[in-house]
Amino acid sequence: MNYITAKTPPVREDRLGAGIAFGGTCHELRCAHREGCLNLANRAFSSTQGCQFTLSLAILNTLRNAVIIMHGPIGCGGCSISNVGIGQTFKRLRDPNAEGTIWLNTNLDEADVISGGEEKLREAIRYADREFRPESILIPVSCVPSLIGDDVDAVAAELQSETAAALIPVHCSGFKTKVMATAYDDVYHGILRGMVKKPEHRADRKAVPDDLYELRRKYAESRTVNILNVSSMSKPDETELERLLTAIGLKVRFLPCYSDADDFQYALESSLNVSICGTHDDYFIEHLKTLYGIPFLIDTIPIGRKNTTRWLLKIAEHFGLQEEAQRLADAENRELDKALESFRSELQGKAAFLAGGEVRIIATAEILQDLGMKIVGFKGHHYDRFAEPIFETLDDVSGVIFNVATQQPHEMTNLVKQLAPDLIVSHTGGNNITAKLGLPLLPLFGPTYNYMGYSGVFEVARRIRRIMANSRFNKKLAEHCPLPYKESWYGSDPFTYIKKDG
Amino acid sequence: MSKFVDRPRYTCALGGALFTLRALPRAIPVIHASAGCGFNIVNAGNPGAGYLGGGYCGGAAWSSSNVVEREIVFGGEDRLREQIRTTLELMDGDLYVVVTGCMVEMIGDDVKAIAAEFADGEIPVIAIPTPSFKGNSYDGYDMVLEGLFRCYVTRGTQKRQNTVNVFGLVPGQDAFYKGNLAEVKRLLEKLGLKVNTFFGEGETLENLQNASEASLNIVLSDVYGIRPALAFEEVHGTPYISLPLPVGAAQTGKFLAAAADALNIGPDIVDEAIRQEEARYYDYLERVADIYNDIDLQRYAVVVGDLNYVPAVSRFLADELGWLPKLAVVTDFVDEGQIETIESRFQNWESGTYPLIKFDTDTSSVQRYLPQAWKPSANERYYDSLSPAVLVGSVFERDLAAKYGFPLLALSFPVTNRVVLNHTYAGYNGGLSLAGDLLSLLVAGR
Repeated sequence: MNYITAKTPPVREDRLGAGIAFGGTCHELRCAHREGCLNLANRAFSSTQGCQFTLSLAILNTLRNAVIIMHGPIGCGGCSISNVGIGQTFKRLRDPNAEGTIWLNTNLDEADVISGGEEKLREAIRYADREFRPESILIPVSCVPSLIGDDVDAVAAELQSETAAALIPVHCSGFKTKVMATAYDDVYHGILRGMVKKPEHRADRKAVPDDLYELRRKYAESRTVNILNVSSMSKPDETELERLLTAIGLKVRFLPCYSDADDFQYALESSLNVSICGTHDDYFIEHLKTLYGIPFLIDTIPIGRKNTTRWLLKIAEHFGLQEEAQRLADAENRELDKALESFRSELQGKAAFLAGGEVRIIATAEILQDLGMKIVGFKGHHYDRFAEPIFETLDDVSGVIFNVATQQPHEMTNLVKQLAPDLIVSHTGGNNITAKLGLPLLPLFGPTYNYMGYSGVFEVARRIRRIMANSRFNKKLAEHCPLPYKESWYGSDPFTYIKKDG
Repeated sequence: MSKFVDRPRYTCALGGALFTLRALPRAIPVIHASAGCGFNIVNAGNPGAGYLGGGYCGGAAWSSSNVVEREIVFGGEDRLREQIRTTLELMDGDLYVVVTGCMVEMIGDDVKAIAAEFADGEIPVIAIPTPSFKGNSYDGYDMVLEGLFRCYVTRGTQKRQNTVNVFGLVPGQDAFYKGNLAEVKRLLEKLGLKVNTFFGEGETLENLQNASEASLNIVLSDVYGIRPALAFEEVHGTPYISLPLPVGAAQTGKFLAAAADALNIGPDIVDEAIRQEEARYYDYLERVADIYNDIDLQRYAVVVGDLNYVPAVSRFLADELGWLPKLAVVTDFVDEGQIETIESRFQNWESGTYPLIKFDTDTSSVQRYLPQAWKPSANERYYDSLSPAVLVGSVFERDLAAKYGFPLLALSFPVTNRVVLNHTYAGYNGGLSLAGDLLSLLVAGR
């Protein structure tokens, strides 16, 4: 893969044949995907769903020592407000002196729509550089400047010589794609073009060449893996994954989330890039292979015992450490299996519905099955090939309903009423609708909780038991707060509004 | 020409429009815009307004045409027509309002014409263009309110002398709008008035439809709601007065007197209402007479936020709490006429103590004004510092507060560090809650 000389990456409809609208069984979905029938589908009724601009911010907001310039009208990127406090807290887990999330908005108005927004962008860049002295200035470009033809790359190139910060345009105009996850490609495209480079001045360089030192460094590099974290991961998740890989003798570095500019340079000194989630990483990881020759692994996400073991063994295989990894996995599995017993006896046979990113929901279903629960339905943000290996770790779900929908709570509401699960596992955004279904709800991810690795399985188990022990809050809401859909909707086909031909 | 903004404390016109409609009972917005607009807005407005949430339509369930490149090239009118039709089919409401984002306005979709095609249906469908390049959340509130006044409020009704409409508090941008409206309504009802607030407790769409019966519109702001009030006067012949948001006993007493005066309500009625309220107010406030004086709870203050709160809160601090506000920063877009009006709110205070007033939209500017408001240290041995002080602002002031060691009360948007339910900062009850919240900060360690 090499799109790096292009101004923008291709959209995922084209690159991956990804689809955002489907309703059927898992079996039917996988067939439709293989036959390439997914990616034209759309809806006659849709709800708002997030765009690649807002999702780009999920990564951009985490980068340390960076200022973000939202290039667009005044509202674009306002969602970063949700990140003001927690962003700072999580950055400070990596660097106690880190600033919180700082952003400017270029505030394009009616006059700019006619005469162009480049001058305002220049002013904003100069201000950001002077006022905050960041290492990098990230410039996500929204719909309006893209449509009026602002040449953001040219402005960045022109000002680069006068700013201390690296200027990184991120082309993520919302109207360009239906597949929100294209955002990850946009962000990585910007990072690859502007931040990833061999370190010019190593902090630990020696004035006099030192062969032994170099040998040690090379050895360390041969044992170093980069784990590509995602913004929905927590620090406890990272701690758990690092524990597992350190146990088999590897050194671990996490990026891109919560990294600063230097981290992207030193990241090139590693022997393997490991994906947490193909949906997030494939564009970045494949380009690092093409451009810098670093091998990569995209397989499963380490959520659930089988997935974690598979993920660990695949990494170990690359380094010839299978035996060590297998011994570790066996020991971990033995102990965890025992610890899960009391949960299984209580949760056995309970039905669950999962909604969120398709990789993550399928993997999380493995934990639920491990606890003896029954999966009655999935709703995935979109669908593409990265979900395929995760399905392999599940006991048969081929007849289970799979709804492909980014948000679209009307479809989920209808489905949940029909499927009547005992538990919903759900992504953020729209849970005030989900809550009014009156069911216990486990967030699909949470930036302070552990979901990944072996410890994550136990943490999810004990949270499910806790959450299911009292769901009075949602039940009371359901009794008193109506949903916004007409009664007739609940008897209808939940996929009424999906149009196969766009 | 406008400029960039460092951490804007508002979203766009569409954002203001959506949170205004969110506050309107059983109104269903239909967003004609890119897919992410609604989602971005709810993720700003929900946490920013103290976890206000998306309401009945749930934010994430907001109907949205989600236009993509194809519509931008070929036009989005067919897609909008389809989305209105399916929204009417699926979503249960009593008023459907099409609002727009930038892209469909730039390509020139005629949303009013499309909405008009649904005029024969049982339930009204109206279109109000709200492109975000035409303003921020406050402008969006004005656009929606003006649109509703022009297209939805019944024309030619009989005026009723004792009916008033109250607006000017922007839902969401004022996280406490509902508690504030409830308090203002409670007080005006004591004067024997029937009060419509449109977005307050127990309101219905019927109240809004019949709003033209009002003999007076009271705008609780020097800026927000003024344009709709002018439109209202033009279409329905009801005049308006602008009486800024009252906080605490002194301001609320003046507010009630002015409202009574405009409606020819006798001084005996208003005096009695004020007497009752003040007695109750001071019965509560008297509680802290000990601690205030025992440990010296007077503070310097810095007040940052929107143009409704900053003058009202600063004056409350000075004239009632006996504090010393030294810097007041208004973070809205304002023109020169508006600046003049707002500055006039910083005159004739009983305390005779006034802050330095600044108008600046940039979050990092606030700390640059501190040395102007208070002589900075020149490393002298004896330095009279701006201490002890309290910062009243938003969560954007958290770093500044930490840097100077000022306790922070976040009350202007965004307030992500609080959960806001029925709290109020308006009126007598608002004065009590503000005093309680501020003094609580100071005894938190005891």
